[in-house]
Amino acid sequence: MFLINCPFCGEREQSEFKAGGEAHIKRPKQPTELSDDEWAEFLFMRKNIKGVQFERWNHAHGCRKWFNIVRDTSNDQIKAVYKMGEKPPVK
Amino acid sequence: MLNYNQPLKDQKSYQGLQMSEISPVMKLIIRGKKRDFLSAVGKSLNMVLPTKANTSTQSEKLTALWLSPDEWMIFSNNVLEEKTNTYNTEILLNKNICNLNLGAVTDVTDQYVRITLKGDKIYDLFQTGSPFNFNEFRNKIGSVTQTIIAKVDVIIHNQSQNEVNLFVRRSFSEHLFSWMNDSASRL
Repeated sequence: MFLINCPFCGEREQSEFKAGGEAHIKRPKQPTELSDDEWAEFLFMRKNIKGVQFERWNHAHGCRKWFNIVRDTSNDQIKAVYKMGEKPPVK
Repeated sequence: MLNYNQPLKDQKSYQGLQMSEISPVMKLIIRGKKRDFLSAVGKSLNMVLPTKANTSTQSEKLTALWLSPDEWMIFSNNVLEEKTNTYNTEILLNKNICNLNLGAVTDVTDQYVRITLKGDKIYDLFQTGSPFNFNEFRNKIGSVTQTIIAKVDVIIHNQSQNEVNLFVRRSFSEHLFSWMNDSASRL
């Protein structure tokens, strides 16, 4: 359990949010030209690392807006929160 | 209002806490992003929509709650007495917003149930089932929050000192009300 600072509503408990997986995965411009392996790579393969990870989250039980966070998956420490479309403030 | 079937018929009273449904009350959800949308709503309703997060504004007849950066709930302060399901506010907003493609207006009168809670133990009750920190909320009249109580989505509005409006989806209202009664009896 941890707190997430929603960029719209402020600090809320994690149970109000839903995790939406890894962020910044670009959809291929021409999906029809991809092989099955390349398409599967885009669709299913995620880094799922132990450490700092960029993630999408949704404030499901609040404002219902999507945003990104940078979270250390080893200790749930949140390094940064930023809105959709913005560049990550940390690398 | 016509044919309104009240889901919560009882008024419950405990030491320092009273709970009951207020009905029928008109409730609308309005959505829009454009600046023209905000000014059109302002002109139509003669009130300013709250743009600051977790706040509300009030006029003589209506209250507007901030739900998200592009979503607000508007409800009538008083109980509807006219025998109709058509509301002048909705007609006006449809004309000035929907018809001009500025945003969306949805009638949620039957979707949400408005429960009013009064007394000095409101927040003791909320604390038994909500992850939200009410410390700031309780001291700021007009505050609004969307959160969960006993795993049920709710909208809470700080109406005045020791008086709170709670909006819950109708299908969850009986369960939540019975849960709150059970919880209140143990405070």
